[in-house]
Amino acid sequence: MSSWSSAQHPPGVAPQAAYAYQHTTPAFIPVQVRQSFGSYVAPPPPPYNPYASSSPQSQPATPTTSTSQAAPVDQSKGTKTEWPESVRRYVQRSFHPENDDPSVSRAELEAKLKDTIGSAKENNSLYTIDWDKMPLPQALVRADREAQLKLHHRAAPITQPIYTDDSFNPRKRKSNDFPNDSSAPPWHSTNAGRSLEDRISYSPEKRAALDDPKSSKFQKEANKRKRRFENEYKAANVASLSLNPPPPSGPIVGTSEVLEKKYLRLTAPPVPSNVRPERVLRQTLELLKKKWKKEGNYSYICDQFKSMRQDLTVQRIKNDFTVSVYEIHARIALEKGDIGEYNQCQTQLRSLYAMGLKGNPIEFKAYRILYFIHTANRTGLNDTLADLTAAEKEERPIKHALDVRSALALGNYHKFFQLYLDTPNMGAYLMDMFVARERLAALCNICKGYKPDVKLRFITEELGFESDADAAQFIIDYQGQHLLEDRTEYIAFLTGKANGLFENSRAAAFQKVDIKGQI
Amino acid sequence: MNELFKGFAKAHAEQNGYLLAATLSPVSPADHPQRLRSVWKSSNAHSIKGDIKHWIKSNASRSLDHEEIKGWVEVYAAYWNAVGDIIAGEDGKSTWTKVYESWKELTSVLIRGYNNFGFEAWTIPCLYMVGKYLRLFAIKSDTERSRNLGDNSAGASLMQDDFDPETEKQGQLRDCEQHLKRIFTLCLNDRAPLEESRKWGIYFIINLLFKTYFKLNSASLSRTILKTLSAYKGDMPPLSAFPKSQRVTFKFYEGVLFFLEENYVEAEKHLTEAWELCHKDAKPNLERILTYLIPCRLLTSHVLPTKALLEPFPRLQKLFLPLAQCIRKGDLRAFDLALQEGEDEFVKRRIYLTLERGRDIALRNLLRKVFVAGGFDELKEGETTPVRRTRVPVAEFRAAICMGSGGELIDTDEVECLLANMIYKDLMKGYIARERGIVVLSKKGAFPGTGV
Repeated sequence: MSSWSSAQHPPGVAPQAAYAYQHTTPAFIPVQVRQSFGSYVAPPPPPYNPYASSSPQSQPATPTTSTSQAAPVDQSKGTKTEWPESVRRYVQRSFHPENDDPSVSRAELEAKLKDTIGSAKENNSLYTIDWDKMPLPQALVRADREAQLKLHHRAAPITQPIYTDDSFNPRKRKSNDFPNDSSAPPWHSTNAGRSLEDRISYSPEKRAALDDPKSSKFQKEANKRKRRFENEYKAANVASLSLNPPPPSGPIVGTSEVLEKKYLRLTAPPVPSNVRPERVLRQTLELLKKKWKKEGNYSYICDQFKSMRQDLTVQRIKNDFTVSVYEIHARIALEKGDIGEYNQCQTQLRSLYAMGLKGNPIEFKAYRILYFIHTANRTGLNDTLADLTAAEKEERPIKHALDVRSALALGNYHKFFQLYLDTPNMGAYLMDMFVARERLAALCNICKGYKPDVKLRFITEELGFESDADAAQFIIDYQGQHLLEDRTEYIAFLTGKANGLFENSRAAAFQKVDIKGQI
Repeated sequence: MNELFKGFAKAHAEQNGYLLAATLSPVSPADHPQRLRSVWKSSNAHSIKGDIKHWIKSNASRSLDHEEIKGWVEVYAAYWNAVGDIIAGEDGKSTWTKVYESWKELTSVLIRGYNNFGFEAWTIPCLYMVGKYLRLFAIKSDTERSRNLGDNSAGASLMQDDFDPETEKQGQLRDCEQHLKRIFTLCLNDRAPLEESRKWGIYFIINLLFKTYFKLNSASLSRTILKTLSAYKGDMPPLSAFPKSQRVTFKFYEGVLFFLEENYVEAEKHLTEAWELCHKDAKPNLERILTYLIPCRLLTSHVLPTKALLEPFPRLQKLFLPLAQCIRKGDLRAFDLALQEGEDEFVKRRIYLTLERGRDIALRNLLRKVFVAGGFDELKEGETTPVRRTRVPVAEFRAAICMGSGGELIDTDEVECLLANMIYKDLMKGYIARERGIVVLSKKGAFPGTGV
């Protein structure tokens, strides 16, 4: 009994931190752990087309006949609709010279008119709307412009009214503004030394937050809140104006062009001008990937990803892009040990994969198994097993995870720690979460099974410690210093004298599995 | 329709709840396959309530209270409405979702009948009838909706951050759970004296809720029901006073619940009770019980099913006999293969993770063979009964394990790990002396419960 003083850890203070985190990189030494983004294959850049969004407004207005029937006739391609007399009157009124507004071009007017009547038709509210009291398209266009201007005048450099078809100013941010690095998988360039971020214009409020450390945090928060409410309030007003018949019950189509957006839980139906269409979200994703590499600011990244997920959800976008958003967020959350957020992503991924969308199902199904091992969720494990196909069970990451599961189920700690040292992808982050408790379980086993003692080196090797010192530290951390004995050639671990010393710690470690531990 | 009210009157005269419930069936009886249609045709939306009132009054032998009649008129009007949707569905002019909705309305009206119009407790089989079909219609509606996916854009889900795949798949059944729970509360909270209490409906409804939770893949929610139940235990009639069929189902689910929580001792207790209560001809139910009871007993008392027990259940034979054989023989490799072979079936029944642990027993049997093959130590002075050789080299166990694993080479450290496990789980008594490479086994009962 010489060098193993308990000085480093006063006895009685149970170090509850997950053991694996106390060392530099215990989990990853033999594993090629990706720092981020795993095997994400960047989706091809979206075809650039300012009119690509499927929203009916963005179709270039067809300069059709000048008869007052123009809009309705256009709408009813294929199916002939009987237009109520009130609608006809409304259209006539719109084109009446008396209501002419020089600031609203004919094309804009027609587009708006088409949109208003079209959505009324879709909602079957043609007959319920009081068309005689409906604001004229000119007024609606003006209201839209005003709202857009107010909404974006700080945030983004864009905000041209969408409806001026001839003078449409393409967004300042184009996908090719960003060097196209999608040819190389992101993890090949983890040490981002490039100055991409120089070209990214932070929104003023973000910049203010960065530049002005003096203004109190409280003040900043208060300002942000104020702006947020202002925006929301306006947005809500605009919505009630332009969508006079209640908003269509189908998914909305976003019109926001802002790349970054703070996450905010929805308490009312979403407003299109606050929601980014997929085209914009794709750019957001690229931006966030770069920012994450450069800054590694998790709370910012997590917040941004949540708002992205929200935008995808409210627009009911479920495609390969959706998959990549959730995959990347899941990986980042894993890396940061944000198990709650990770779990949300994984749940979504499960159903997205089930829809047959492309992504990395093998990688994430393997994580899912490891996750359920961590949370000791037998129902989840059983369901996951049921989901796997025979071919998937042979894929290395999944096979690894399944082997981990069965090793633990059978108490085969020898095999478990061998598997631990050879974990594919980012699985080691998950395994780190339960390796300490499995070490305790194995120690209990060994203490009961071996007499009178074993070499400390045996513990080091069997339990996958990096060094004898780490193994000894682990034992000391759980009040086992008296079980270590220095015998000049080797250090002995006196299993015969343990008397169930680790049983309580083991039981405690298995009891509390903090599933919802969100950062 | 008039015929229904003859039944209604008869049921009231005899206070026969099941007869009354039969008048609310959404399925035509076998001896009158056109009943639903004739019910539907016998009236129209305009005069239905008046008609029903007339039918009730003209058939009643015993005079019903005015309020009660009002309540039943509402119930049968809702029923008539639902029948309309069912018939339209048969003709391909309606959906299960519509049927579910109108049946849900019937459920609400019926519950209101108990709360506001003083329906008597003997009529609770009506709640059974309505609850039972509410659940079935919800399931049908869910499958129907998932078949034509995409038309279920509920407004609420548009306000969420993520999609909720479960709501999209099982939304109606979740909704149904809410209504079954209302029936549950309706029965639970009745303060009337026991002989005329709705408390007698509690186990039927609980069983419906259990089924729903298991189907929703949230079996653990059943626990909350059980907790509520035990809180009311004092005023509740004892379980033994309820019909056997309800008791069997209840015990079965209670047992499976413990089983899923890995509390095999408790699980065995409840499942055994269910097994003993179950009617001997109810083969499918017996089979269900055994599906969980067998793995339970394998873990609690290391007992394997006999051929005679499985004789009447070919499916169970296929499921369990190969495994049982491997465990008996201590053939690890064959055990792994058999487990793999049946994996899909086992996983489906949620017994895979439990059966997997049967490998411990197979290993124990293998090690025991090594011990027995080791024979006896030479008699020492003063000893009369031979003592088995209790110091067994790890190498011997290793050879056996390698053989048992189909010739695969297992290294000594892993063998020791498996041995340590056996010792830790009290399947083997003794200790490993690592320095000397031997296992020292207990002189008395090295393998507890196996006779050596």
